[in-house]
Amino acid sequence: MELFSDQFNGYLWQMVQGAYITLQLFAAGFTLALVLGTLIGIVTLSRNWLIQAVWKTYASIIMGVPSLLIIFLLYYGGSAMLSGLFGTDRSFDVTPFGAGVTALTIVYAAYVAELVHGAVMNLPKGQFEACSALAIGPVAAWRHVILPQLTRLALPGLVNIWMIVLKDTPLVSLAGLNDLVANAKIAAGATKEPFIFFIAASLFFIVFSALTLRLSARLEARFGRGLAEVKA
Amino acid sequence: MSALQTETGPQPVAAPRPIAVEMTGVEKYYGKFKALSGIDLTVRKGEKIVICGPSGSGKSTLIRTINRLEPHDGGTIVVNGITLDGSPTSVQDVRLECGMVFQQFNLFPHLTILENCMLAPRLTRKLSKTQAEALALKYLERVHIGAQTHKYPSQLSGGQQQRVAIARALCMEPPIMLFDEPTSALDPEMIKEVLQVMEDLAEDGMTMICVTHEMGFARRVANRCVFMDQGEIVEEARAEEFFEAPKSDRLKAFLAQILH
Repeated sequence: MELFSDQFNGYLWQMVQGAYITLQLFAAGFTLALVLGTLIGIVTLSRNWLIQAVWKTYASIIMGVPSLLIIFLLYYGGSAMLSGLFGTDRSFDVTPFGAGVTALTIVYAAYVAELVHGAVMNLPKGQFEACSALAIGPVAAWRHVILPQLTRLALPGLVNIWMIVLKDTPLVSLAGLNDLVANAKIAAGATKEPFIFFIAASLFFIVFSALTLRLSARLEARFGRGLAEVKA
Repeated sequence: MSALQTETGPQPVAAPRPIAVEMTGVEKYYGKFKALSGIDLTVRKGEKIVICGPSGSGKSTLIRTINRLEPHDGGTIVVNGITLDGSPTSVQDVRLECGMVFQQFNLFPHLTILENCMLAPRLTRKLSKTQAEALALKYLERVHIGAQTHKYPSQLSGGQQQRVAIARALCMEPPIMLFDEPTSALDPEMIKEVLQVMEDLAEDGMTMICVTHEMGFARRVANRCVFMDQGEIVEEARAEEFFEAPKSDRLKAFLAQILH
């Protein structure tokens, strides 16, 4: 196939649109997982047995079941679940994108929550005590003292999760989402040029990962302030 | 006449000043281990109390029950008229009465020295940024850290960090200060600067309860010394008597161990 022919450019343009969908899926999934996971992580620090029971069940299901199955469950079973929750008289349309975002969110929220637990364990107990002794309430203490330090402790793990979420996005193409990898597959099949299109798709992931690493280095410098200076 | 007696009498602190901290029959358990048993201690306004004793004797636990970093399991604790009954308001009120300095400083590493001192006044006393900054600078000057306010805690020496921690507690302007082994984590050459700041505070009339092994400080500053062992107060006496004429064998043995 001729490079940069009209047909080639057409497929390439489709891949660009696919990449845009991949990025949207990733951004929505990761952001929601981060917010939900942090909340779950904080709430499940409680020793309340009910909270612990719910958390343990959720974590063991999510960490034991492949993400692909969760995506399928939500995509093929999603509308039945929603009808069950909100009444059978209404019908619900579950899009591949919606199922994908939801699946990535609930799966990676569990991993983020685990990360929060680990970071809290690594924070000296004295930080909590200093807040108590200064009569700083729990919400303000979390906001101004604990979370900024947790961010520093959890950042390497978060970058890890960020990469894994990105690399999990193509799974949603199996539920029919026309993301980058799905469109690359269509183009490769139609043109019999697997290398060009799959390598182009790989390049996208490589470039995005490289940008990620630069971003994480900047964040690390930002949240490591006060500590980084000692080593310098 | 009574005024005359107070000034010339041998025990100036015996004048009935208002009570700052009153502990009656305080008990504390860690599981089955009894960390505090039957603690009775009265501290009057302006008094400086030094608590000492071997490690594991419960002295840190005692001082930490006063601002409820450790909840007590029995007895009563009254701080400046507020009974610590475990209700959130009583805990909050008592914590506003007591400043605390920890062995490990516990400064907030991600905030500058100035921000460390400004945080609590802004959050709990609702001061404006300018007010909080003026307050923080005032107390940082007082502990002789005024020139380093924009550094982070990790850039300071241990002694400087502990002085910042003292300033941070003072910024809440508490009437009572609790010190939990403030010099135990310091290199020997830094102990003096921290003790000096504490002595200055004592001269200004602050009510102070200090857990410390610094016997020189205890002699110079303390009105009364309390000796604890195995979760109970074994002996309580004025500083001179405490060191010159200890009554109990346990205190005699302890003093022999540490005064060398």
